[in-house]
Amino acid sequence: MRRFLLVTAFICGALPQVQAGELQDILQIHAEEVAKPSRRSVGALLDDLVTSGLPQVPVFLEEWSAKNVWQSPDGQFVFAVPDGDTLEIRDVDTGDIAAVPKDGYDQIRPNGGVRRTIGTALVQFQLSDPDPVRRQSALEAISRRPEAAQLAPLQASVGTETDPALRAQKEQLVVFMSARFADTSRDRIAAINSLAEDTSVEARGVLNSILSTEEGVASELPDANIARVIDPAGAPDAFYEKLVEEGLAPPVVTEAAIRSALEQNVSGGAVGGVPTARLNTTDARHKAYEQLAADGLVPPLITVADRDAALAAHVFFEVYDEKDPAVTAAAADALATVTQRVSWEQAADLGLDALSLASIYFLAAIGLAITFGVMGVINMAHGEFIMMGAYTGYVVQLFVPDYTLSIIIALPLAFAVTFGAGVTMERLVIRHLYHRPLETLLATFGISIALQQLAKNIFGTQARPLTSPGWLDGAWIISDVIQISYIRIAIFVLALMFLALILFILKRTRLGLEVRAVTQNPGMAASMGINPDRINMLTFGLGSGIAGIAGVAIGLYAKVTSEMGADYIVQSFMTVVVGGVGNVWGTLAGASMIGFLQKGIEWLNPSNTLAAQTYMILFIILFIQFRPRGIVALKGRAAAD
Amino acid sequence: MRKTFIAENPSVLWFLAALGLFTLVVTVLSEWVGTGLIPTSFVKTLGKTLCLCLIAIAMDVVWGYCGILSLGHFAFFGIGGYAIGMWLMYARTESIVLESFGSQVIPPTQQEISDAIGNQIFGVVGSSEFPAIWAFADNLYLQLLMIVLVPGLLALVFGWLAFRSRVTGVYLSILTQAMTLALSLYLFQNDSGLRGNNGLSGLQNIPGFETAPQSAVSLVFFWASAFALAAGYVFFAWAVSGKMGSVIKGIRDNEARVRFLGYRVESYKLFIFTVTAVVSGIAGALYYPQAGIINPGEIAPIASIYLAVWVAIGGRGRLYGAVIGAAFVSLLSSWFTGGGAPAINLGFYTIQWTDWWLVLLGLSFVAVTLFFPKGIGGLFDYLVRKP
Amino acid sequence: MAQSLKFTSYVTAAVLASTGLAAAECADPVKVGVLHSLSGTMAISETTLKDTMLMLIEKQNAAGGVLGCEIEAVVVDPASDWPLFAEKARELLTVHEVDVIFGNWTSVSRKSVLPVIEELNGLLFYPVQYEGEESSRNVFYTGAAPNQQAIPAVDYFLEELGVEKFALLGTDYVYPRTTNNILEQYLQDNGIASDDIFVNYTPFGHSDWATIVADVVALGEDGKQVGVISTINGDANIGFYKELAAAGVSADDIPVVAFSVGEEELSGLDTSNLVGHLAAWNYFQSAETEANAEFIEAWKEFAGADRVTNDPMEAHYIGFNMWVNAATAAGTTDVDAVRSAMYGQEFPNLTGGTAVMLPNHHLAKPVLIGEITAEGQFDIISKTGEVPGDAWTDFLPASKVLTSDWKELGCGMYNTETKTCVQLTSNY
Repeated sequence: MRRFLLVTAFICGALPQVQAGELQDILQIHAEEVAKPSRRSVGALLDDLVTSGLPQVPVFLEEWSAKNVWQSPDGQFVFAVPDGDTLEIRDVDTGDIAAVPKDGYDQIRPNGGVRRTIGTALVQFQLSDPDPVRRQSALEAISRRPEAAQLAPLQASVGTETDPALRAQKEQLVVFMSARFADTSRDRIAAINSLAEDTSVEARGVLNSILSTEEGVASELPDANIARVIDPAGAPDAFYEKLVEEGLAPPVVTEAAIRSALEQNVSGGAVGGVPTARLNTTDARHKAYEQLAADGLVPPLITVADRDAALAAHVFFEVYDEKDPAVTAAAADALATVTQRVSWEQAADLGLDALSLASIYFLAAIGLAITFGVMGVINMAHGEFIMMGAYTGYVVQLFVPDYTLSIIIALPLAFAVTFGAGVTMERLVIRHLYHRPLETLLATFGISIALQQLAKNIFGTQARPLTSPGWLDGAWIISDVIQISYIRIAIFVLALMFLALILFILKRTRLGLEVRAVTQNPGMAASMGINPDRINMLTFGLGSGIAGIAGVAIGLYAKVTSEMGADYIVQSFMTVVVGGVGNVWGTLAGASMIGFLQKGIEWLNPSNTLAAQTYMILFIILFIQFRPRGIVALKGRAAAD
Repeated sequence: MRKTFIAENPSVLWFLAALGLFTLVVTVLSEWVGTGLIPTSFVKTLGKTLCLCLIAIAMDVVWGYCGILSLGHFAFFGIGGYAIGMWLMYARTESIVLESFGSQVIPPTQQEISDAIGNQIFGVVGSSEFPAIWAFADNLYLQLLMIVLVPGLLALVFGWLAFRSRVTGVYLSILTQAMTLALSLYLFQNDSGLRGNNGLSGLQNIPGFETAPQSAVSLVFFWASAFALAAGYVFFAWAVSGKMGSVIKGIRDNEARVRFLGYRVESYKLFIFTVTAVVSGIAGALYYPQAGIINPGEIAPIASIYLAVWVAIGGRGRLYGAVIGAAFVSLLSSWFTGGGAPAINLGFYTIQWTDWWLVLLGLSFVAVTLFFPKGIGGLFDYLVRKP
Repeated sequence: MAQSLKFTSYVTAAVLASTGLAAAECADPVKVGVLHSLSGTMAISETTLKDTMLMLIEKQNAAGGVLGCEIEAVVVDPASDWPLFAEKARELLTVHEVDVIFGNWTSVSRKSVLPVIEELNGLLFYPVQYEGEESSRNVFYTGAAPNQQAIPAVDYFLEELGVEKFALLGTDYVYPRTTNNILEQYLQDNGIASDDIFVNYTPFGHSDWATIVADVVALGEDGKQVGVISTINGDANIGFYKELAAAGVSADDIPVVAFSVGEEELSGLDTSNLVGHLAAWNYFQSAETEANAEFIEAWKEFAGADRVTNDPMEAHYIGFNMWVNAATAAGTTDVDAVRSAMYGQEFPNLTGGTAVMLPNHHLAKPVLIGEITAEGQFDIISKTGEVPGDAWTDFLPASKVLTSDWKELGCGMYNTETKTCVQLTSNY
């Protein structure tokens, strides 16, 4: 508080005259700490700097934190900006500028922990700084590491705040801090109660830190703010261990200890009356050990009865660090409400993630669904078309540095490239294999191997960057719990657009009519003047083209490698098969089911994502047993194999 | 019966003769009993190739004869490898542990021995307790039984479910592929109890024969593989000749018609699927002690697809075609990827075969499917018919 | 681009082979096996190391070779196929009869090679950071053991960043599993409750990180400082860091320290959103020493101006030079003689200070912690003194009692409680 007043004093105008070397002198006293600061020990230096009241201090702290302070060969500290081999240096006190060769100068790099401590020290200078960026960083520093001493200056600065956003932030921060640090319990409880609606991580952090507890054990329950009493019957050995740690009970004699005790007491090929050769069972060892204990050579065994008696003689409890039961009760109530809300929001967030995953699966699979459904052709190279699309995006970004423009170019280009590849493949290979579906599978697999290796030869095995435009960075934050990145929303929108587009093509265009006719009865369609050959070619091109676009989308949110197609191919087949072949709605249903199922299993077992994938595949195998034709079954050529 | 079988299948005799001669030549040139012209590492490669030929025959029977394109037979191969690998690791570790306990005054308890073995085997992957699936690992005979039982049962249950609900054609292929993927993902987990990504290693050291040199071990396994291949060949040649052979070929060509004729198509398919799975398991159990290590990567879906590639290139519907395909493609593959093939300099670009081999394989595979559906084996028809 | 680079390296290999033959006065040419994958999934990492070896051998030959002989590099390609590693190692030792092998990257490939190397009494230098719990008579581990990378990084989190709650995220394989087991125990020993440690394993190449990142952010709900220890491997890092950036998690909110992300990996990423996140290694390209400047310059000249250097390359640099010095000291390339001459070998690190080979076949090396910069490099913000590598960690009960000392005890797995050697071969 005193410090704060001092600071406000000179911010408010009474600036002392700058004198050469003042700050440098202080820095030199702590030279080692300035050059190699550590979070734990930097406090003394910061205190000295702040209490010195020098006006250069805030500038120095900011520059120091930004890694702009260098140490000259003779140990002086300067601000410096490197420029090739020279260094443009500025005196920390006078601001005199000079250019010197870089040799011998060392850049000082305070680590993240130190920078945070510096940020805390800067708070008092920045809270009422005219620059809103500095005020913002002060608020961030406070919210990262709230300290009781900051509450008063923060409250004082709220009134003078002009920026409405910052003002709201300050007010919220005041609530958070009053809940923990306000002087009277009444103020604190009022602040706590107002947090019951707030699901932000900070609010929960405040409540949880008020409710922090410590475990204890004693022969009688002490007179304190007890959180709960624990029954040791659940894990008697662990609780006995605690008694031992507290020095309230003798330690358990472990099997290893028994063994080494026996080893030390062997005499004449026997120990405790038992020949050593017979000591290969636990029972025999216990018997021998008990004999030794009876002879007073070793401490006695702790039996189960001993353990239970010791546990019964003590009480285990958790005690709040906060002394006032009214405060903890209010916080516990508020937290219960918040937790309830958070779990709802978590469910909603999981739903969003599942929806996003489903849209990715849908995009990856829809092209396959078209070719598989309409033509009955399995295209194992579908994954490689996805990869081709992604690499197209990467190549476009090499030539078009503007990310927004490059994505706008890449999407149709990826479609064109993979459309061309699909049509070529259909003309050269698949056309000849229409009556041999198993062989199409193998031939397209051959193409898939070749394409994958070709991509490796051209682009190398390392992942290539495909960067999304700046306006897709970040996330849509509904609350601290529910949020989803913009890129995933974009993919979702893209998936919806393709759903609409494909439905439109199939239901509202001449091509769609012909496609549906060929799907249902190719012979009849041909006799009605439709050229099935052309339809097949276009359908295949369309399916492949969509895979290319999916590739750009997947590359944007994950990675571009030559093996990315292989990651999606089995999932895509599952999606198509589960959904039902040859039906857009079926694919949608399949993708949704797989996406939600995978997230659901992940939620049940959050520490092992791999297991989720295994169980999902098992589930799909079983599902197909019971609905071999998928969720939405279809009649026609595809249905007849 | 036997006479007519051989008479009807002269290729069996030819095959056995060729295999016998090959085995003899390798033995004579090996390091252990012969001149040492063939290094031990190559004897191991040849022995492994014979195991691959065995599973290729199984694949040919299930696909080329019965028309089921299974993309999951390498899973059974891997299970066989894991089954024998568990015993090999356990027994080897047990002897090490017992030796280290031997010098101590107090003999170890059963619990201590098992803890120490568990710690040795699983300490590497960050745990120390024996998972339930290792319950029989201490018993060679039970574990040998597992080689047959586990792939057989898995194939039986899976096949029963699939064939019962009339899943056929590409659906079945994808389903078998999913099964393989699920198995390999499961094994990739450390929690599966089979050491996750590390798999089981040091399998070339045979417990009880620690002092035997690898040149001897490799040759013995080579003989065993050759014998298994011979036995497998004769068995499958017998199985696909005669009435059953006709039925399963009928199923391949027109399943509905065979069903109308009153045959229980599902039972035939299930029988073939299960028997070939068992043979694959045996092939795997012989393969992995020669490879020295088995890990889930071996079971990845791609391996089973390569198996189909071998059979297709060798020629479907003829057993020797499968053998030729597996031997030819896998040896060629290791020659190319091992840097054996000379680089081709085109002036502006040099073709390195380590990079381009897979492109070549993929494209030649397309070519075989399109233009030579009979594969390399088809050349024999050409030779036989010409005079 | 990658193609032309490969091309140059092949040419160099050919040149080396021919000069090797020219040194006819050497009755028994010195052969160095290079066992790194040049194709398959690991090629991206391992090809760099193969090139590093060729560069080091070229340099050594220019300086007169070793024991008066030219060194001949024998390069084989195990193609990221683990059984093939064992086969190729046997081929190197029996057919090519190499004197020493430099190779391997993944732990599973090392475990595959171990029985062969031990059976044939070969010598392997392994250059990558690994999970420890191993000490083979025939392997020198020039990469970091957990106490040379993970433990100092955690200390940094505890001491300097004041992290109170840990998320241990890893790819599901042996290195993250073992490292995380060690770290869990270490954190608990340092007073972090087991409830404050969140562990998650994902498959190789995982791309769907939204839920996991949300889980990590939610860890901060009890007001404690959260930190992430990442043993995520390879490609999966890209999706992970992209999701972190999208969720607006800055290094000031939740710092991430990675053990498998180096200069190479960052080149596939736009690092502007990752500034301030951390990595722990024994080497960073940004280390300002003369030796490092020289090494980087030689490397760029050999492999191309846009190439970066990384930690395993330094490990090979130290390992190869130590082997040359040990062979010179022993006067022979005989494995057992070189092995005894290796103990106590010293060689200057590229980052300053001196690396020492310990009798447990590990190095004493300094540990560096770097913050990611916007240029895809690391700002070194912490450097320890030389930390001796520990084959058997002190933080797991089963290996606490084990020690390795091939010089005095002649055993890599010595139980200090029972005073016996558990086994002479290693556990693979």
